[in-house]
Amino acid sequence: MSVRIDPEGNETDALFDLLEVEGREVLEIGCGDGRLTRRYADRAAHVTAIDPFADAIARANTWLSEAPNERIEFRHVAFADLAAASEADVFDVALLSWSLC
Amino acid sequence: MVHALEEIHRLTRPAGTLIEIHPAALEFPFVEVRSNGESFFSEDDPGFDYAEDSRLAEAAVATVVGRGIFVLEESRRFELRTYASSLQELRDHWAVADAYDPDEKEETLARRQEEMYARAHEVLGRSPGAELVFVEPATMSRLTLAG
Repeated sequence: MSVRIDPEGNETDALFDLLEVEGREVLEIGCGDGRLTRRYADRAAHVTAIDPFADAIARANTWLSEAPNERIEFRHVAFADLAAASEADVFDVALLSWSLC
Repeated sequence: MVHALEEIHRLTRPAGTLIEIHPAALEFPFVEVRSNGESFFSEDDPGFDYAEDSRLAEAAVATVVGRGIFVLEESRRFELRTYASSLQELRDHWAVADAYDPDEKEETLARRQEEMYARAHEVLGRSPGAELVFVEPATMSRLTLAG
């Protein structure tokens, strides 16, 4: 048996209560291994999910290779670096996933 | 933190949305031993004190709301639960999932945490079919861009 995280879907339920993600361009900051990303990405137009921790992104990309989803792009990059290289007004939604603190 | 929120404002289109998730202030993560909806053990985890982190996150959000950069529309409290069949399984999970966090716990806190998990492990051992549950109270907020 392996660890199960939020099998009740409490986090996803809260997200869908607060956000209509359908058709929207999402930036997820602090995606870790993509645990939350893969639960909502099918509703979004596209998700750019970033994390500064290489091992977490490697796990996210391993999962993505096993369950391909063209809507998701996992990137190993710090938010400050992504922001410095980005134009303004690129995303519809920014999701700070346990990463502001 | 405030600068990060200002950058998010710049990257997000007008009428865009910010969803912010952080540990609930004034609530400790806690550990339960549960089976069939019944709890046999429940104690706060003294090794995870998010109070200061939560305070800083909420202060940053309050700052950008006060400056008129974002409008706070709605918040929800929820519990993120991690289920494991054994203490070792939970520790193995954390060894991977929390490897980014190099912070060593203060000795007294670490000892109190070990003692709490030893009690949970003992209860788990005499509760066939039960699981160890790590519960993180959290807050999720929706903000919209202003100005």
